[in-house]
Amino acid sequence: MRALRWLLVPLLVVPVTWLLFQGFGRDPREVASPLLDRAAPSWTLTTLDGETLSSADLAGRPYLVNFWASWCIPACVDEHPVLAAAHERHGDELAIVGVLYQDDPADAEGFLARYGDAGYPHLVDPDGRLAIDFGVTGPPETFFVDADGLVRYRQFGPLTDARMADLLGLVLPVAAR
Amino acid sequence: MRRWLPVVALGLVIAVAGIVVTLVTAGAPPTDGERAATLAAELRCPDCQGLSVADSPTASAREIRRQIDELVAGGATDDEVRAHFVARYGEWIRLAPSSAALWLTPFAVVLAGVVLLGAWLVRRRPRATAAVGATVTEAQRRAVHEEAEALDA
Repeated sequence: MRALRWLLVPLLVVPVTWLLFQGFGRDPREVASPLLDRAAPSWTLTTLDGETLSSADLAGRPYLVNFWASWCIPACVDEHPVLAAAHERHGDELAIVGVLYQDDPADAEGFLARYGDAGYPHLVDPDGRLAIDFGVTGPPETFFVDADGLVRYRQFGPLTDARMADLLGLVLPVAAR
Repeated sequence: MRRWLPVVALGLVIAVAGIVVTLVTAGAPPTDGERAATLAAELRCPDCQGLSVADSPTASAREIRRQIDELVAGGATDDEVRAHFVARYGEWIRLAPSSAALWLTPFAVVLAGVVLLGAWLVRRRPRATAAVGATVTEAQRRAVHEEAEALDA
């Protein structure tokens, strides 16, 4: 019985410690997206410029869907030049689409006027329906979709240049990296 | 081992009572509105901290409530409505775990705790009485005896 009691201590302490260690180190919202390796949700929405854009228009080329908001400070401000640089460098083989996450279009235009409009389109998602289809929990979140239309990665939080370079490897053809 | 029986029995009674209460409160067949409200209460608001879709005023929660109403009105079962959101957000969107094993875990942990505590208390008691007996020395016993005889005299 005495030996059993000593065995109980590690038997309880080890799994509980492991459980707490697993839980404390991460954001509880940062769970694996069920969309991974599945077809990205399809959509047809109006851009900030008033044009209609559809996911079908992007078929056959890889694209990023970046959920952002003008009120998402500083994360979206920090991330903005990373997306602009990727658009500048890979604009020919990669499409980037911004989606306003619970944001007023006028505020979003103000943000772009202040921090620079890189030239890629931004979708207005009035009811947040597209954000729900992608399972977004808060901006910024970026989905990497490959040329076959499959979601290859969900970036939770702001992208950095280094992260962007790594993740583009998942969707861009080898020659373009 | 027989000393443990009341402890184990108490643990079992607590666990069974918990399960019975859960089953009894399950209720009668609900209307569409009630079903939608129940489902909204089961789903996590995606951009809140620990609030259900039913309790949250955010735009996402409002849209999810609208989609629940739409799906329920369209004849979707409760499981189909849950699956619609799990396909987008993962199991994370559910405030209540779907696996029966997860539901039983707290009962198992409490039961294990009660059994361990009981075992510890049962082992404690006999050793404590033995210790009291051991502190009376032969000299003390003789002293008490002599005093008692002195009183008689």
